[in-house]
Amino acid sequence: MTDLTPITSLGSQSAQQVSYGALTIAEEPDHGIASLTLRKGQDAPTIFEMALPEVGKVAQTGRNLAFWSAPNQWMIMGEGQGTTDYAAMIKAEAPAATVTEQTDGFATFSIKGEESKLKQMMSKLVNLPPAAFAVGCAARTGLEHMTVFLVRANETGLLVLVPRSFAGSLWHALETAARRLA
Amino acid sequence: MTRLTGGLIDRSKPLHFTFNGQGYTGYAGDTLASALLANGVQLMGRSFKYHRPRGVFSAGSEEPNALITLRDGARSEPNTRATVAELYDGLTARSQNHIGPLDRDLLAINDRLAPFFAAGFYYKTFMWPRAFWEKLYEPAIRKAAGLGELSMLPDPDAYDKGFLHSDVLVIGAGAAGLTAALTAGRAGAKVILADEDYQLGGRLLAESDLLDDAPASDWVSQTVAELDSLPNVRIMPRTTIFGTYDHGIFGAVEKVADHLPVPGDKVRQTLWRITAKTSVLAAGAIERHIPFADNDRPGIMLSGAVRAYANRWATTPTATASDPIAIFTNGDDGHRTALDLIAKGAPILGVIDTREDAPKFGDYQVFAGSTVTGSKGRLGLTSIQITRNGQGSWHDVGALAVAGGWNPNVHLSSHHRGRPVWDESLMAFVPSPNGPKSMLPAGAAAGQVGTQSAMQDGMRAALAALSEIGINGAEITLPKAENAPSTQEAFWHVPTKKRAWVDFQNDVTVKDIALSHKENMRSVEHLKRWTTLGMATDQGKTSNISALAVMAELSGATIPETGTTIFRPPYTGVSLSVLGGGDTGQHFRPTRLTPTHHWAQAQGAEFVEVGAWMRAQYFPQSGETHWRESVDREVLAVRSAVGLCDVTTLGKIDVQGADAGEFLNRIYANMMGTLKVGMVRYGLMLREDGHLYDDGTCARLAEDHYVVTTTTANAGAVYRNMEFARQCLWPELDVQVISTTDAWAQIAVAGPKSRELLSRIADDFDLSNEAFPFMACADLTICNGLRARLFRISFSGELAYEIAVPARYGHALMERLMERGADLWVTPYGTEALAVLRIEKGHAAGAELNGQTTAAMLGLGKMVSAKKDSIGAVMSRREGLAQETRRLVGLKPVDGTRQVPAGSHLFTKGAEQSLSTDQGWVTSSCFSPHVGGYIALGYLVDGDTRQGEIITAANPLEGQEFDVEVVSAHFIDPEGGRLRD
Repeated sequence: MTDLTPITSLGSQSAQQVSYGALTIAEEPDHGIASLTLRKGQDAPTIFEMALPEVGKVAQTGRNLAFWSAPNQWMIMGEGQGTTDYAAMIKAEAPAATVTEQTDGFATFSIKGEESKLKQMMSKLVNLPPAAFAVGCAARTGLEHMTVFLVRANETGLLVLVPRSFAGSLWHALETAARRLA
Repeated sequence: MTRLTGGLIDRSKPLHFTFNGQGYTGYAGDTLASALLANGVQLMGRSFKYHRPRGVFSAGSEEPNALITLRDGARSEPNTRATVAELYDGLTARSQNHIGPLDRDLLAINDRLAPFFAAGFYYKTFMWPRAFWEKLYEPAIRKAAGLGELSMLPDPDAYDKGFLHSDVLVIGAGAAGLTAALTAGRAGAKVILADEDYQLGGRLLAESDLLDDAPASDWVSQTVAELDSLPNVRIMPRTTIFGTYDHGIFGAVEKVADHLPVPGDKVRQTLWRITAKTSVLAAGAIERHIPFADNDRPGIMLSGAVRAYANRWATTPTATASDPIAIFTNGDDGHRTALDLIAKGAPILGVIDTREDAPKFGDYQVFAGSTVTGSKGRLGLTSIQITRNGQGSWHDVGALAVAGGWNPNVHLSSHHRGRPVWDESLMAFVPSPNGPKSMLPAGAAAGQVGTQSAMQDGMRAALAALSEIGINGAEITLPKAENAPSTQEAFWHVPTKKRAWVDFQNDVTVKDIALSHKENMRSVEHLKRWTTLGMATDQGKTSNISALAVMAELSGATIPETGTTIFRPPYTGVSLSVLGGGDTGQHFRPTRLTPTHHWAQAQGAEFVEVGAWMRAQYFPQSGETHWRESVDREVLAVRSAVGLCDVTTLGKIDVQGADAGEFLNRIYANMMGTLKVGMVRYGLMLREDGHLYDDGTCARLAEDHYVVTTTTANAGAVYRNMEFARQCLWPELDVQVISTTDAWAQIAVAGPKSRELLSRIADDFDLSNEAFPFMACADLTICNGLRARLFRISFSGELAYEIAVPARYGHALMERLMERGADLWVTPYGTEALAVLRIEKGHAAGAELNGQTTAAMLGLGKMVSAKKDSIGAVMSRREGLAQETRRLVGLKPVDGTRQVPAGSHLFTKGAEQSLSTDQGWVTSSCFSPHVGGYIALGYLVDGDTRQGEIITAANPLEGQEFDVEVVSAHFIDPEGGRLRD
């Protein structure tokens, strides 16, 4: 175990969380992330007994989830794996595939709360119909000039992933939109 | 007071407001215009050019006259139409475009000088002397002829934007729009119903016609309540659809808080981008007037507007309640105004109907076959001249309602160059059948006359829209509504030798149009530019068609032959604040922070924007008073001890696959497939045209795994190009690429003590030159087990490494290196020192790879491998590039205390300085602590053979000239011993 202390994408040692009315946005630093891309001609493997989802979809098994990110490419996320070598775990699951460590490639934020408010908030942020981020769906889209993934694995909330260096700007955008709805 | 009974105002909620400092009271539901009219205020402003007294002319967003400045201070908003300004308690407004009080405007002198201000007078008058235009004429004209003034203070309010998606967008919530929305809403379609008004209902609110024998507002309330209860319907009042764009996209502005004194926590306005599969254009129609002599006095108003003020806002446009109102019409519609006024108990003079066979629908006087030929009243209408068969008589009136027919609102259907079509029976243009795809005009906007027709048409359009997107709809039960036929005659203006205004906002008269025609402005577009007709905030909504009719009459052509000008968004004015989307200042655009940003901030670093990135530029220490002191210290620390620089911003692309080596051979000009595992190679990428594109290093971590680094600027572009190449050019290759720029914090550890420093944090890793030579790379662990990547590469020319760890550990790693290297004089350095170090070493950066340069110019021509093909390789050998003889050189000013600015051009000493004798240019320049003076890099013709020559660097922009000596580009360690040992 390294004796270096990590910081979150927003630059502190603990994850930030803030609530405005019925909406709560929070930093989720504890996800391990790896990209998995098929080699030429390879069939899609299962990861932790989870079938990789179709275009625009997300699959979830226990604390792991996978969402489609490009042709023959998925992002795999593992809760509680933020400081492990998650890519190595995925590579062990799919030795024939190309796996790349992405844990710190992205900052992950969650938005939780009343569904109607969540939809209202997203209507101020992304040019997508709500169906694109309904439960079971994932989308890659533009948000305030940043590229983000929207991942909706379950009812409890929506995950927004942004390249980590943009974390502060995304947080500002989410916070502003949530505050104005409060 | 001129309040009538009834109306849709809430008399239990009085609202206090001021106009030009005078206090008044209105009611909830009033607009500023209706509240002023109810208080007997007719005079609301001065006209654009002649400073003529003007009052309110319409009851909607088409208003040309009643432009006022709303609010004070930073929230002061000029050119607001009083007709759409929703009244709130505490509203303050003032009139504009006058000097002195509104009723005694000093610039009213312009009206006396009118003969000098004919159409096109700007173009004719202010020609000479030319220099006077900008400094004298234009400011003077702007002061004398104009609209309101900006506060010049920053806008204190917040704005935002949003995105909506719908099956059916219904534009306008009048009879047709509400019916369309109800039809589509009941069918389960996702419906957006938008209306610019704060009360839905459109003309149903302005007319007295009954629906199902009850006031139309009852049906409106029921319908809105039902629509509101449908989860698939979104009702958007105070929302103007201002433009039709490609692919079913509409621009809309929602006035979220314009009706409140201050927005509070709300945004003031929201800019919506609405994507709709289909749309129903139910935007209604705008009435036109009939120009006659002196037709612009306060109190002269559109006939439909008089009805709206009477029925919806319970007021008349007269100064006192007892003043009679006259109606001037060319059709039946004007008579409706007479009937409504009589029903409300307002006194009327009668109806002046241009038709000899004018009908009579009630107990009022009809002046058949007559016209209005003049008016009197200095600040408000007092009398009109009615003429029949050349015999005029004057009549006292307090207001005149003018009804010239209705023009369907074809604007949004004309934004895709859909040219509106002339309908002879309607005497108006109707939407083009070739308008925007899937847009269905309905109701008055489609030329339907009468409430019942409009409702039926709204339902028809909604059903057609639903059918287009495969949703089953059903007819709905419509209320019983009037549908009396309405006839009119083609009567466009009353000929006169006096001025008869066509466009009130721009003070354009029938005479101006005639003069313009005489001056050969025959195209309607030329007429518009010559006279300014149809310009400014109202875009000629009440004037364009009348102008076309006058023009057609002059030219002998028909109105459709005369044609319209092009319709363009926005339909009504859109503030720049809301178009900007709301983000200002620091958050105007997103920024990227490096993993050590917070650490650098704590050290007091100065930052510089590099694209979206914020990078530490230098780290001032106490006692340092100039940035050069900090930078020189940082450079010397790297040269003599060890420095640390966050280089995370350089692009990192993970390239894997069985054919990764072959793929990179094709991407890079030089060979990459032969790179040994565990080694790094410098690489050059070319553009398709053979010029240099990007450079960087490529590390081979495993047989089928490379990591490519790019310059900061090109990180995204190189990744995109690789994806294009992989997917489109060579899909047969087994290769996968993905960006990992943000995943890893990468820190350059540079300087003679770098090995010692790294050995203090590496876990059991042999850093000796033998085990880990120059250009080696490896996976390792540091600080007790943290996975890391180490690259022995050097941008500074010193023994140097770059170490990468998962980004969340970058901050801690920087702290650890600083702590462990304290005794080694470890020093953080920023982008300034980074640049000095690389210039001293003669390494190329963005200034050298500026898109005009070749590998040969960098002295790296041999890197473009002839053994394989790669992007740009063939084109790099074309004659024009192969003959290029400019080469990268070092330049040392003979007077080392003077800096040669980058961008200076190089000439043989003593030669004439011109484009034909130009020998190259200076690319980069800095003070070199190592050399002890200023140095530079540049491209020079035959530079590789001219070392020792003294040439001239000239900066003609500043009148500067320098003697510089041509030297090696490697000011330090040309043999490269430092980085290899």
